[in-house]
Amino acid sequence: MSETLVVMRREVLERVRSRSFVISTLLFPVFMAALFVVPVLLGGGGGERRLVLVDEAPAGVGDAFVAGLTAAGAEKDRSAFTYRVERVSGPFEQARERLNARVLAEEIHGYVHLPADVVASNRVGYRARNVSSVSVEGDIRRAASQAVQGARLRQAGLELPQVASLLRPVELQTRRVTERGEDEGNAESTFFLAYITGFLIYMLVFMYGINVMRSVLEEKTNRIVEVIVSSMKATHLMLGKILGVGAVALLQVGVWIAIALVASWQSDTIAARLNIPPNALSAIDVDPWVLLATLGFFLLGFLLYAALFAATGAAVNSEQEAQQYQTLVFMPLIASILLMGPVINDPLGQLATTAGLVPLSAPIIMPMRMAAAAVPATQVLASLVLLAVAVGFFTWLAGKIYRVGILSTGKKPTLRELARWLRAA
Amino acid sequence: MNHALLLDGVSKSYAGHTAVKNLSLAVPPGTIYGILGPNGAGKSTTLRMVMNIIIRDAGSISLLGADPERDRSVLRRVGFLPEERGLYRKMNVTDVIVFFAELKGVDRRTARTRAGEWLERMGLGEWRATKVETLSKGMQQKVQFISTVIHEPELLILDEPHAGLDPVNQEVLRDTILDWRRKGRTVLFSTHNMEQAEQMCESLCIIAQGEKVLDGRLRDIRREHVSNVWFVDFDVVSDVAARSAVESFMSTARFGRATRNGDDGWRIELNRGVDSRALLSQLAALDAPVVRFEREVPSLHQIFVSRVGNAATPHREPAHV
Repeated sequence: MSETLVVMRREVLERVRSRSFVISTLLFPVFMAALFVVPVLLGGGGGERRLVLVDEAPAGVGDAFVAGLTAAGAEKDRSAFTYRVERVSGPFEQARERLNARVLAEEIHGYVHLPADVVASNRVGYRARNVSSVSVEGDIRRAASQAVQGARLRQAGLELPQVASLLRPVELQTRRVTERGEDEGNAESTFFLAYITGFLIYMLVFMYGINVMRSVLEEKTNRIVEVIVSSMKATHLMLGKILGVGAVALLQVGVWIAIALVASWQSDTIAARLNIPPNALSAIDVDPWVLLATLGFFLLGFLLYAALFAATGAAVNSEQEAQQYQTLVFMPLIASILLMGPVINDPLGQLATTAGLVPLSAPIIMPMRMAAAAVPATQVLASLVLLAVAVGFFTWLAGKIYRVGILSTGKKPTLRELARWLRAA
Repeated sequence: MNHALLLDGVSKSYAGHTAVKNLSLAVPPGTIYGILGPNGAGKSTTLRMVMNIIIRDAGSISLLGADPERDRSVLRRVGFLPEERGLYRKMNVTDVIVFFAELKGVDRRTARTRAGEWLERMGLGEWRATKVETLSKGMQQKVQFISTVIHEPELLILDEPHAGLDPVNQEVLRDTILDWRRKGRTVLFSTHNMEQAEQMCESLCIIAQGEKVLDGRLRDIRREHVSNVWFVDFDVVSDVAARSAVESFMSTARFGRATRNGDDGWRIELNRGVDSRALLSQLAALDAPVVRFEREVPSLHQIFVSRVGNAATPHREPAHV
């Protein structure tokens, strides 16, 4: 067994010392942070937009539009645009050419045309150099809609503020019910957390599984393996490699969790800095038991897939040959990803419960369910036990393929030959 | 006598192909032993069975007194250099050597010290901290050799150690093997190069098509294979009478068949039953001075060809276990 430790140690040191490990460990949190910050920065920055309004509309509509548009900038946060509107009167066709020239000269950002029949036709024109800014167009659409709707309501003898107050939408207050009582969290943050958790586990299992396969393949093609298996059992070598790569994965995840904990501890400050609602990050305050179970699922899931990847690496002779067989290993992983949507939508439903118990999909599905809802402890436990049993079974199976495959060279084995290896070993 | 390695009736076949058939051999301790044979004779298969890399179908193996299949720990006392070499390309030289040493149970500190000493000795001192992939092929082979001997094994098993080495490195390898032998340790190596075996081995075993052709001490093998051919040289350059006496003796010879071998030399193949001493006394009576009377000793290559003959047709190793 001491040889297994030697192999494990080598796998850990060679990986942790590599530049790519350091970079990926540090870069991922930066990437995640960017996911929060960049949209805010991009959507925002805000700034002033200078627009010209060509107003041919019935009296009052143009005023309401300008009022709505300037109010839009004022009531929102600093990330929004503010507008300065210059009004010219029609006819539009006469003004058009001159306005286009001003847009091209970058004197103004664009111009809005409220035609005479706007109340009936419901069409408003907007021309600018850049018509891809969702937030500018949204503001214009909202302001124009309100102005036109106001005109229609007035025609019907109603006032807009009165109707708006009558039609205001309700505010849905969400609370997650767990065994410890209610806790905060809304659909957005829960969805976000569940999605990130599932995808992260998928990515790590995939990435480190491939790592194990490459490492096995390197030893096989270099024939180093002959020297090693003359010092230790082939299955112990496989185990050492899997545990070594697994330890590296855990270390990386550990660093990330530590960073996330610091972030959640400081979530109010961060939320304030980033101008996001303070409770948007509150769902990241996870129950330690959920965190522990999630780690358990990740670890067992890695062990299960790593064994399969190790067997794949041992059976083939090159990366090209590996691709065919690794597709077989990927399939359940990809199936789990396809189930992410339905599972997050109904984390306690029949599909989610079943997929959470099947060992090949459990490592991804269960942590997602736990992030999205309060999954009964019995289900979590049952899933973990089933997964652990499956890890034992698949490691045993992979060990058999590994033992024969690692020393055989020549052509790629057929599935029938693989079956023979299983019987022979 | 306790043998370093004892094989008794060992066989291995792959689907439809017998790689090694009923092979028995004994490697005495403290010697350099060679396994000779053409490509595909079963040399590598035999060594891999000894190292428990592949499992034999039949027979018994006693490696340093233990069966490697039952008692794997004995393999720690053996150093093995496989025919196809390879190292972790991305690791640094010292780390690779220390890794293999640790696998054989050497503690890290000792391994590090020894690795430094060996690297100095092999002229690789300044490369100790560089990555394996930056070394030349010859240097990598030295590193691999150091990895094989770093745990100071009692028995060194080298599969075709000379393959791919340039003459300088072959010399280094030869010296190291001889040095190993001087320390009282055993070296077993396979080769298809007869000259190398002849120069280094004390005992050997020739196999062809998976079967043993002959084995034993090189001296004994040579003795068994001496022919009844004798070389006779005379000093008759200036003596015409003596020369014609020799020529008429050779042409009318009833003791065997004589052919010229150089100016004043003859090669005589004695008939069955004729004693060399009778020939010598007749030659002495010729009144021509004999300067050489020597029995022909066959080279290993000749012995090999005479014994293996057509069986030497190379076979390919099978693709799968």
